[in-house]
Amino acid sequence: MADSDEEYVGDVTEDEDDLQVTRGDNPRAKKRKQRGGAEWELSRTWETLVEGADGTISSTVEGLLEANKRKRLLKDTTPLQRGIIRHLILIIDLSQSMSEKDVRPTRYLLTLRYAQEFVREFFEQNPISQLGVLGLRDGLALRVSDMSGNPTEHLTAIQALKTQDPKGLPSLQNGLEMARGALFHTPSHGTREVLIIFGSLLSSDPGDIHQTIGTLISDKVRVRVVGLAAQVAICRELCTKTNGGDETAYGVALNEQHFRELMMDVTTPPAAYSEKESASSLLMMGFPSRTVEATPSLCACHSNPSRGGYLCSRCNSKVCNLPAECPSCGLTLILSTHLARSYHHLFPLINWVEVPWRRASRSSACFACGISFPPVPPEDQWQVAESQTKGMSVSSRYECTACHSHFCIDCDLFAHEVVHNCPGCQSKSAE
Amino acid sequence: MNTVDASEHYELGATDLSPSLLTIVIDTNPHAWDILEDSLPLSKAIANILVFINAHLACNYANEIAVVASHTQKAAWLYPSQTPPASTDQDGDVSMSTETTPQPNKYRPFRIVEDQVTRNLKELMDSTTATHLHGNTSTMLAGALTLALSHINRRTIAWAEEHGGANPDDTTAEGTAPSNRYSASNEDEKLQSRILIVSVSGSSDSAHQYIPVMNSIFACQRLHIPIDVCKLSGDAVFLQQASDATKGIYMSLTEPRGLLQYLMMAFLPDQRSRRHLVLPTRVDVDFRAACFCHRRVVDVGFVCSICLSIFCEPPPENECLTCGTHLDVGDHNAKPALLPRRKKKKKKANGASGSGTPMSVSTPGS
Repeated sequence: MADSDEEYVGDVTEDEDDLQVTRGDNPRAKKRKQRGGAEWELSRTWETLVEGADGTISSTVEGLLEANKRKRLLKDTTPLQRGIIRHLILIIDLSQSMSEKDVRPTRYLLTLRYAQEFVREFFEQNPISQLGVLGLRDGLALRVSDMSGNPTEHLTAIQALKTQDPKGLPSLQNGLEMARGALFHTPSHGTREVLIIFGSLLSSDPGDIHQTIGTLISDKVRVRVVGLAAQVAICRELCTKTNGGDETAYGVALNEQHFRELMMDVTTPPAAYSEKESASSLLMMGFPSRTVEATPSLCACHSNPSRGGYLCSRCNSKVCNLPAECPSCGLTLILSTHLARSYHHLFPLINWVEVPWRRASRSSACFACGISFPPVPPEDQWQVAESQTKGMSVSSRYECTACHSHFCIDCDLFAHEVVHNCPGCQSKSAE
Repeated sequence: MNTVDASEHYELGATDLSPSLLTIVIDTNPHAWDILEDSLPLSKAIANILVFINAHLACNYANEIAVVASHTQKAAWLYPSQTPPASTDQDGDVSMSTETTPQPNKYRPFRIVEDQVTRNLKELMDSTTATHLHGNTSTMLAGALTLALSHINRRTIAWAEEHGGANPDDTTAEGTAPSNRYSASNEDEKLQSRILIVSVSGSSDSAHQYIPVMNSIFACQRLHIPIDVCKLSGDAVFLQQASDATKGIYMSLTEPRGLLQYLMMAFLPDQRSRRHLVLPTRVDVDFRAACFCHRRVVDVGFVCSICLSIFCEPPPENECLTCGTHLDVGDHNAKPALLPRRKKKKKKANGASGSGTPMSVSTPGS
């Protein structure tokens, strides 16, 4: 498997040798170090299968599924200073290499679909952030939608791309320069980020891309790239340099699911590196009240007649949607709920720990949903069971270290990914 | 049972509407109920709620119910009961042995719910001691909501598994399941869940629960679970925001004695019927924020860009009270001017070498 993949990469680079200015290097040398590159080569799932006592593999399969769920869960929960107010430019490769069908249905359509999901998730996670979308096509950077905090604008703009076809060669430099221009006016307290979905193995640039990288660094723009084909040296350099040496900013998608994960990773606000990078400041914000008028009036933002709306707390202009910037006085208008939505990034729920059989007898059912746990086997079987499973709890129980309640894997996932509350800690009063 | 017959499956998909799961969170704060004693004692309220539960169960044979008590010092399940393990199996049936008093004239599901709710509530009340209540007038709303959501999550997964074809994305790509499951793509084909909060406590005491309650509300919003609020006394800003954010119904009862009628008329319809109804909504939702420093309600506030704490005035010594970051207050809200450096440079160049630039000097002189 590994061999065939590398041959494929080699073929492509040879074919396009004369076209490219910067091209992908042979990934063989650095592949092992790289996130995304080596993972699948090492996981031979069939080898980990062990027949259970009853001669079937169902228990092992279930264990693997559970371990997989768990893997996504375990993340760093140290409270960090995160850049909650983000300014992100999503650059989508719209060049001819995107018409490849190595992912279903095509790279192009899948990328657009994920881009839409990304936009939704991004605003879900970062309600007071701004996003803009660019495209790379025919050697030019194409403005798909402007920087704004309104997800529907981006969604319709991306939707409109579906009727068009990918064409020409991409130019990373043009895209980055345009993104840099779009991010130039963003205030210093927010982050400046670029996410590139890059399906090509080359970049056809008008000038020196290394200069562009230099200016990106001085403008404090962080670039992350999700590659679709193979590792490209310039993308790697771009990511490492703009992220202060952090290599994890560049990932190459192995399959549809991995592609999605790589993109969704970006929706989590990045940790602030240092104080000097993003000058923290006190922002003046308005918390407007909602009004419903007897007769429709025009809103200041879109000039649409509407009856409901929010009045700016400083100048009383009516805006129809929040969060927004008051069109007349420039005050940032938000709801307190928008701020509250970001609190789970700042105060994350601690990871729950696996419960060995020794402590499992304390509970017989999940504290939150009441599903019953497997019963505790006799002591002599403990070792056998524990050696079989990795990355998951032998007893199917997960314990919150604060309240010592036991939960099932589904509740663990649900609590960490959706609710961000511990059912146990919240249900018992702190005494 | 009937699943052996293939025709049953198609019938279900074609004509039957998916059932709904109603989760009721009952605020059992004894302090608040004591104030309501004259108009609506707790026993009467529970009786009314049980009638309402029966009405919900009667709407569709597959409808499900869950009841959580939000008490002063803990949140506890009233139904389905968690204490006797595996008393309820996959279908929500109770094994025959647990039956206490056979009442042949009562629909079985009604009796089961009634028995368990009253028994568990009694246990909960018995376990409450005077020391628990002393000086503790809040209610564990966040915990109750989190429990309710966990149960809804469990039932949604179970329901999707039972009705295999309902969500094909789940089965094809296990790893991507959460986003599909949590994003509610096809509303008619999944278990419809909603939460009803019967609330009696005021919100002033639950300020420390702000973040967990808000987290639960956002989870509901994400899962498209409406939170209905039936407010018997007091007024809670959180709950107004909860029902507003999740498109639920907020009703503050003027006459608590009519609880049953309010429940039946306003809260019985499920999400599908609600699309066709004019719902009692509240227009004036309180969205103002309270500052972290003085608990003042503010219109225009200052927000720390790191931890998003709200202040009514720049904090002393410009240090955020929550995270301790030094904040730059100076020109808040000012946009960076377009290339301000160039002007400075030019001026400097002029001053330093005035004679070195003959063009600019000579023009004003001549």
